[in-house]
Amino acid sequence: MRRVLGVFGLLLLWEGLSASGLVNPLYAPPPHEVLLTLWGFLASGEAWPHLQATFSAALLGLFWGILLGGALGLLAAFSSLVADLLEPVMLLLNAIPRVILAPLFVIWLGIGLASKVALSLVLVAVLIFFAVYGGVRNVDPRLVERVRTLGGGSLWLLREVYLPSLAAWVLSSLKVAVGFAFTGAVVGEFVAASRGLGYLLSFAQSTYNAKLSLALIALIVLFVLFLFFLFERLERHLLRWRPQVGGQG
Amino acid sequence: MLEVRNLALGYGKVPVLAGVSLHVAAGEFVSLVGPSGSGKSTLLRAIAGLLKPLSGEIRRGFPKEALGFLFQEDALLPWRTARQNAALGLRIRGWPREKALGEAEAWLSRLGLQGLGDRFPHELSGGQRKRVALAQVLALRPRLLLMDEPFSSLDAILRMEITRDLLRLVEGEGISVLLVTHDLEEALALSDRVYLLSQGPRARIAKEYPVPFPRPRDPVGVRSDPRFGTLLKRLWQDLEEVALCAAS
Repeated sequence: MRRVLGVFGLLLLWEGLSASGLVNPLYAPPPHEVLLTLWGFLASGEAWPHLQATFSAALLGLFWGILLGGALGLLAAFSSLVADLLEPVMLLLNAIPRVILAPLFVIWLGIGLASKVALSLVLVAVLIFFAVYGGVRNVDPRLVERVRTLGGGSLWLLREVYLPSLAAWVLSSLKVAVGFAFTGAVVGEFVAASRGLGYLLSFAQSTYNAKLSLALIALIVLFVLFLFFLFERLERHLLRWRPQVGGQG
Repeated sequence: MLEVRNLALGYGKVPVLAGVSLHVAAGEFVSLVGPSGSGKSTLLRAIAGLLKPLSGEIRRGFPKEALGFLFQEDALLPWRTARQNAALGLRIRGWPREKALGEAEAWLSRLGLQGLGDRFPHELSGGQRKRVALAQVLALRPRLLLMDEPFSSLDAILRMEITRDLLRLVEGEGISVLLVTHDLEEALALSDRVYLLSQGPRARIAKEYPVPFPRPRDPVGVRSDPRFGTLLKRLWQDLEEVALCAAS
């Protein structure tokens, strides 16, 4: 609650500063104007193709990135051959700022949706790969032995030990993954696109339109917050067995 | 019930135990004591089928499913409730969900945990967690229960209470028990027979003591029996001798 008040206070301060003429509204338009711009943008209907482009790129990248990263992470955790093949590549991909791949994806996949999904996917998949890979290695061996002595095979181990144990690791990465997915989509659109919020942002920049920039930023922030909220609900439900869910979350 | 003959065990080529023979009769409570490093736990793991013997044989008069294990670590699944944990073994054996949970609840009650079935392990005390682990094993209705220092992490009072409940249940159900412990008093108070292992490497059974106290037995009251003191003293002396023997 205090955090909400904090954000609200900051917005009020900003509003006050522009009303008193202390900041130039051309560079920092007051929040209410940003809101109006956002509303006008949404109401005019010209927003939809852009929203659709960015959100489908981000969500597709998120979905496939989690699936691919998770599957590869599991494979690497249970097969030392796969681990030896994948780990160096993943470490390398993890070490570089992966957005530098954006131009390459445009060359390979064109300026359409595919190159944005690819960038988003790579950003997310590497993150999830390490979450799953690390998670499996951190499974309590006593639990594995317990299920084995009770007569449980691989399926029981996966269901009762590995997946719940992984959930804790992966869930905390999921929120970061959401941010990454949007980074991928929007940066992809910066580089080359004919639609999307990234494309609009670079258009706003070239026309010195701070109002539109802020409106677009607000839009992305709101949507990401909404996803965070969903993941937090999921996390609280799945991790209710933990002493406290909190802190870093 | 259980017959171990001339067993040699070890990790790699190094023998930890050699020429071990012992048996457990139906409904009998047998303890295994010995100096640390004598391979008590190794022996139990071999009987549990977790370790392949170098030579010798282990004969069971019952199927493998009728073996129950309770080891030192309480490995409850932290993401499952007490009831779900207690039902885990039954679920693995293919019991339908509802039936397994019902049976698990009955065992939790028998172990004094009525009303705590919905708690997660972190919401239970150490003693209660042990009781859930015990319920998990007993729900499978084992004929032979193998225990390795199961309650050594508990304080004296909790330990006394849980062993009393354990004894009541295994006596009632006619379950045979093979208990590994370093606590000689506990071994005498609970058992019908006690085996003393010699110092390793190549440890074997040094001595065997019949314990004369009748059943059902109160594991606390029995300690005031004059024979208890005599037996305990002998056990201590022999243990010391065995340990010294290896040292010289």
